[in-house]
Amino acid sequence: MGTARRAFGPVYWTITIALLATGLWMSAFYATTESTMGPIQKIFYFHLPVAINTFIACFVVFVASAGYMMQRTAMWDDLAEAAARVAVLLCSVVLLTGMIWGRNAWGHWWTWSPRLTFSLVLWLLYVVYLMVRPSIESSQRRALVSAVYGIVAFLDVPLVYLSVKLLPDIHPSSIRLAPPMQHTLIVWFVAITMLSAGLIVARFRLGRLTRAGARAGAQDAPAHPRLVPLGKHA
Amino acid sequence: MAADFATRLATAATAEAASPCARVRDLGKTIDDRAILTGVSFDLPRAAFLALLGENGAGKSTLLRVLATLTHPSSGRLELFGQPVRHDSARLRARIGMIGHQIMLYRDLSALENLELFGRLYSVPRARRRAQELLEFVGLADRGTDAVKHLSRGMAQRVAIARALMHSPDLLLADEPFTGLDAPSAARLELCLTELHARGATIILANHDIAQSLRLAQRAIVLRRGRVALDRAAGTLDARTVLDEAAGNGGELP
Amino acid sequence: MTALRQAAILVAKDLRIEARSRQTLGLVVVLGVLIVVVLALGLGPGPGAKGAAATAILWVAYLFGGVLVFEKTMAVERYDDALASLLLAPIDRGVIYLAKLVANLALMLALAIVVTPVGIVLFQFDLSAAPLGFVKVMALSIVGFAAVGTLFAAAVSSSRLQGGLLALLVFPLCLPLVLASTQMMIAMFSDTHPQTGGGLVILVAFDVIFLVASWLASELILEP
Repeated sequence: MGTARRAFGPVYWTITIALLATGLWMSAFYATTESTMGPIQKIFYFHLPVAINTFIACFVVFVASAGYMMQRTAMWDDLAEAAARVAVLLCSVVLLTGMIWGRNAWGHWWTWSPRLTFSLVLWLLYVVYLMVRPSIESSQRRALVSAVYGIVAFLDVPLVYLSVKLLPDIHPSSIRLAPPMQHTLIVWFVAITMLSAGLIVARFRLGRLTRAGARAGAQDAPAHPRLVPLGKHA
Repeated sequence: MAADFATRLATAATAEAASPCARVRDLGKTIDDRAILTGVSFDLPRAAFLALLGENGAGKSTLLRVLATLTHPSSGRLELFGQPVRHDSARLRARIGMIGHQIMLYRDLSALENLELFGRLYSVPRARRRAQELLEFVGLADRGTDAVKHLSRGMAQRVAIARALMHSPDLLLADEPFTGLDAPSAARLELCLTELHARGATIILANHDIAQSLRLAQRAIVLRRGRVALDRAAGTLDARTVLDEAAGNGGELP
Repeated sequence: MTALRQAAILVAKDLRIEARSRQTLGLVVVLGVLIVVVLALGLGPGPGAKGAAATAILWVAYLFGGVLVFEKTMAVERYDDALASLLLAPIDRGVIYLAKLVANLALMLALAIVVTPVGIVLFQFDLSAAPLGFVKVMALSIVGFAAVGTLFAAAVSSSRLQGGLLALLVFPLCLPLVLASTQMMIAMFSDTHPQTGGGLVILVAFDVIFLVASWLASELILEP
């Protein structure tokens, strides 16, 4: 049992890396090169799965925040923070790949296209989450404010999405995909999802360990009261 | 439906009459990973006068805030007037009065306006008259229209006492209420606490003056590092014992 | 009924404190006017700024002025731990939140009444095409903004309030309001874009979602 659990991590990461490598190979040699965009279109196999996983990470933040609101245990706060970190990382990648795409498709690094704007706002929302946390001193208060923000930010996401759609659109809304392209996309999607989940879990574990260390430190010095036998005075 | 409600009301009333004013069971409060209160248990009957003693940081203020429903315990159970304390405990709060560490008043409003405001929030009948009477009682009848920020600390403390008494609470929680009071005001507050107690109110007094506390209260609980170190009738205690228990090291100068 | 009465008492208390101390409103109005003037000069004086620019500039003034309002009205509760006595009273936490929101909205209204005409005059912004539409869009936006702002003012101020923290929390959340209202203004005040109801739906949805969420959360976050 113990060995099986210890072996799980390396196996998981090996599979993830193998899938990423397969995805790379498939997008290079297996998937057909798209006619209008040329080779740069291949960034799409990476871009779309990362974008979807950004939402999943944001959703994890939301769930963990709600969990904290209900149970008030530090575990939920650690999970929310881990997911927010991964969400920001993924969203940065979405922004960068989106910009590279835009540079090649429309000749500008930045256009206020609805989806680029959406990614930018999403990125800002969760960067703020991470930036505000260290400036709140009390760990309980920090967890509470973060949880409220984690919930509110997630509720905000659909509204952001609807409001950017008011902007004039040039983003490719649907691309017809040949079967090899579909296969490549699926491999990428699985690989990126495993990568994101693995990162969240790793970061979550690190957070748990840090907190356990801090707690041991805080309790060490004076807070260990000797037990007083109450009967003594009765 | 109505009958059901009536029975529930009746059961509630009997539960209320039989139950102690406060029932505290294995109460714990952790703030930022620090255990402030651990395993605190006691029953407080109606019309009791309890002194809460202990060194700085022993958890007296936190215990009072938990009892006042201002903050929720991390573990354990708390019942007030036979009712478990939950998030929506507005009805319970109506019967609790608190004199806090800080004066808990709006500094830009006058003493009278503050009292009247809280009187109206507690639905006290003829709030303004009661406010004036209480101001007279704490000896500030002529300063009622002054903004609280223009009062001295001691005067503001007296207004805070009046605020806590506006709604004639059944349970009065007093956290160092003698802070900043001059001798006459302190004497008046002592009289006031005794009088309230005589009228049937339950009082919990956190105080650093041990002799005064033991004189006023019937019972004393000594907290040490968040735990109950001693729980006895006040008459059987002297200051020395309390000091020893509060410090836990015999109180000897090293 | 009692909840409404209690809310009215609390709103009256906040407005009375504001009337007494005159700390917030003057400050906020001057700040708002200052922002509009600075941006007007920065963008280059003269006509040309159409609906979008004027709306955006008004938004900047509302956002910064609003955050200051929320911080100030919550600071009133922080002095001497006055909030503790409010939380001790037999009032629902949601009522405390709603009362604070209404007080904030009253101050925001005062801010808007002064700053909006200044912006309109300085930018020679012609409202005549849809004056009621303008008021409707701005009012809906400010309600949503104040709902979020009041919530986080209450949440943040329990920890010691650091300058800028509230703005950091509230601004990104309010971007849908800014986007939707700006786009609606463009649609209303220029002929090239067709008017759509989509923006209005977003504003109303924002208000409803965050009013309800804040009201629910207030029970958990209001602590002395």
